[in-house]
Amino acid sequence: MARYVIRRLMTMLLTMLLVSIIVFAIVEIAPGNVARNMLGAFATPQQEESMRQQLGLERSVIVRYVSWLFGSDWQAEPKVGLPLRETVSQQGLVARSREWWAVEPNGDLVQWDVQESQLIRLVRQPDGSTHKQPADQDWKVDASGQAYFWGVDTGNRAAEWIRGSKTVEYTYDYSGWQEKVDAPVEYIPLSKGLLRGDAGMSLRYKEPVSEVIGRRITNSLILAALAFLVSIPTAVLLGLIAGLNEGRLIDRIISIAGLITAGSPDFATGILLIMVFALWLKVLPGAAVFTSKSAILKDPRLIVLPVLTAGLVEVGYVLRITRSSVVEVMNSPYVRTAILKGLSYRQVVVRHVLQNAMMAPITVIMLHVNWFIGGLVVVESVFGYPGLGNFILNAALYKDVYAIEAASMVLILLAVGTQLIADLIYSLINPRIRYT
Amino acid sequence: MGTENPATAKQIHTAPSAALTALKGYWKSVRDLAQVIFASPTAVIGLTLVILWVLIAVFAPLITTHTPFEQDYKLVNKGPSALHLFGTDDLGRDVWARVAYGARTILLLGPLSVLVAFACGVALGLPAGYYQGWVDEVVMRILDAFMAFPAILLYMIIISAVGASSFNVVIAIAIGGTPGIARLVRALTMDIRTREYVAAAKLCGEPDIIIMLREILPNCRGPLIVDFLLRIGYAAFYIGTLGFLGLGLPPPTPDWGGMVQEGHSHMTTNVWPVLCATLAIVTLVIGLNMFADGLREETMRYQ
Repeated sequence: MARYVIRRLMTMLLTMLLVSIIVFAIVEIAPGNVARNMLGAFATPQQEESMRQQLGLERSVIVRYVSWLFGSDWQAEPKVGLPLRETVSQQGLVARSREWWAVEPNGDLVQWDVQESQLIRLVRQPDGSTHKQPADQDWKVDASGQAYFWGVDTGNRAAEWIRGSKTVEYTYDYSGWQEKVDAPVEYIPLSKGLLRGDAGMSLRYKEPVSEVIGRRITNSLILAALAFLVSIPTAVLLGLIAGLNEGRLIDRIISIAGLITAGSPDFATGILLIMVFALWLKVLPGAAVFTSKSAILKDPRLIVLPVLTAGLVEVGYVLRITRSSVVEVMNSPYVRTAILKGLSYRQVVVRHVLQNAMMAPITVIMLHVNWFIGGLVVVESVFGYPGLGNFILNAALYKDVYAIEAASMVLILLAVGTQLIADLIYSLINPRIRYT
Repeated sequence: MGTENPATAKQIHTAPSAALTALKGYWKSVRDLAQVIFASPTAVIGLTLVILWVLIAVFAPLITTHTPFEQDYKLVNKGPSALHLFGTDDLGRDVWARVAYGARTILLLGPLSVLVAFACGVALGLPAGYYQGWVDEVVMRILDAFMAFPAILLYMIIISAVGASSFNVVIAIAIGGTPGIARLVRALTMDIRTREYVAAAKLCGEPDIIIMLREILPNCRGPLIVDFLLRIGYAAFYIGTLGFLGLGLPPPTPDWGGMVQEGHSHMTTNVWPVLCATLAIVTLVIGLNMFADGLREETMRYQ
């Protein structure tokens, strides 16, 4: 068993590695590059070039991929010659700012800047502000006599300045384009990498992606869990009723209803439910807009329609599987034997049929988890539910690349992980499956 | 319904040998197919729904009084009237015209994307199943990784990267469908390659590519046709969903998902555009599913 688990884990690891390559390739290499998406149509070529430099897009694809996954601080440390550290400080209620510093031997956190051809050291004070010191003595000289310096700049990048290079840096912020002379000639944007929990800054929310995603995952898990808790027992019950009454009217009705709910696109189900319950009956809200973190607890009605929508698709699918497995078991020789042996119908159903029917939900998780998660993404966008799926959709519409990448990886990891766990549980409880 | 089919049985015994009987053979297989379809009430209902939408799509100009692009600023967001059968949308466009022409969009793009996916799936699955070994290992590992994506997520990433257009929607849905098709083709190939006629072809010295395309692929067709039909249902499902998410065809193309998306915010004043487009996509997708499902159950009964 342990061997089987380890082998499955290794396969999963390989799959996730390939998935990360696919996600990275689609998002970053695809036509319409990141810098252009950020800057819009009106940037000049110089401005775009500068932006690409600053984002580190001029580095090779492999270097960028490695930096995205494993971080870039360890790549920059030998160049700067000092250990680098990230500080996290609370700004306001939610937004946190992350800053990179070089750690000097005496424990000072420093960044550098060049102003009017002069190198300036910025030493971080305990209150978060910086103290400026001229540092022209720190310029290093290479073999050709050119003065250069590798340090950490004020924009969370390791950067190389060349004395008197007159490089122009364009930055883009709320007030428009800013121009700065004496800028670095090379940048390495610093990050810890996805695997160490740093997914970069969201271009849209201007805060670390990992912060936003954390909140969203909780909301999505609540929705998924509720939808599952509601739909699986209902579906098993209905499937059982239909299977035991094979061919009768009630079976026909349940089967057709199952076919319709399983086949309808989730957004259509959601829209029809909104029409009936929010527009015509006016009993439930048609959108799940959260005004506070505890909105679900204050007004549970908010989540009823999203849960129903996500659940209905599952009900249809699980119902059909349960029904066909019940029909199969009812026609099996051992059930016939049990009936001939004189067991009551009730005993046969509980002892034999129900036990086999209970396997269906687990099979469904295995086969259907991706479908279910895809459905959640759609349901969340129908109701504006602040979950991970809605987040990915907005990131995709806004071309918030780091957010898309990180959120997709998290979502796929959840999907693959669920599948693995369901698979292991299945092989544990089903005596017919032998793991090799 | 009949569990045995005399027509198929007879055809197996009297396999057409001469060139003249080939045409007759085709006619017979069409009749057999019809017999299979009519044996299943599910398939019949499904096919009826699909044919209905195909007719609407084909005769869209004849059965509508407006084009899907005409805007009437005096009649915005109105309910049904003599002039507009199902009312107008937020730009004063005829809802019925947009639904009818929207059927063209989805019925064109759906099968097209599945065809592209089949071309890719066959191109990957055939060699993987035929050569096995490392070719198989590499191809299947990569496809596994694609299958780890929830389909809608893959589409979202692709379309956000390359932009929303009908071409890109087709590409995205084709990429999403390829791994599943490749797996099916691979499994079928691994089975068929052990047959005697493949060995015979090898002995004759036929090149691998001919064996794959002439001997193996035609003998995979049964399961592939059923899979094809099922996938058209999925494709319609996803084209609608992408439209709804705002990642489908750019406006003003008539697109059901897009209609729901646009009408969504006006639902309290005018439900007609949303209601019509939603019912359209539901009936089409369910029709396609029922047709494919019924056909699959009926063909599995013979095996």
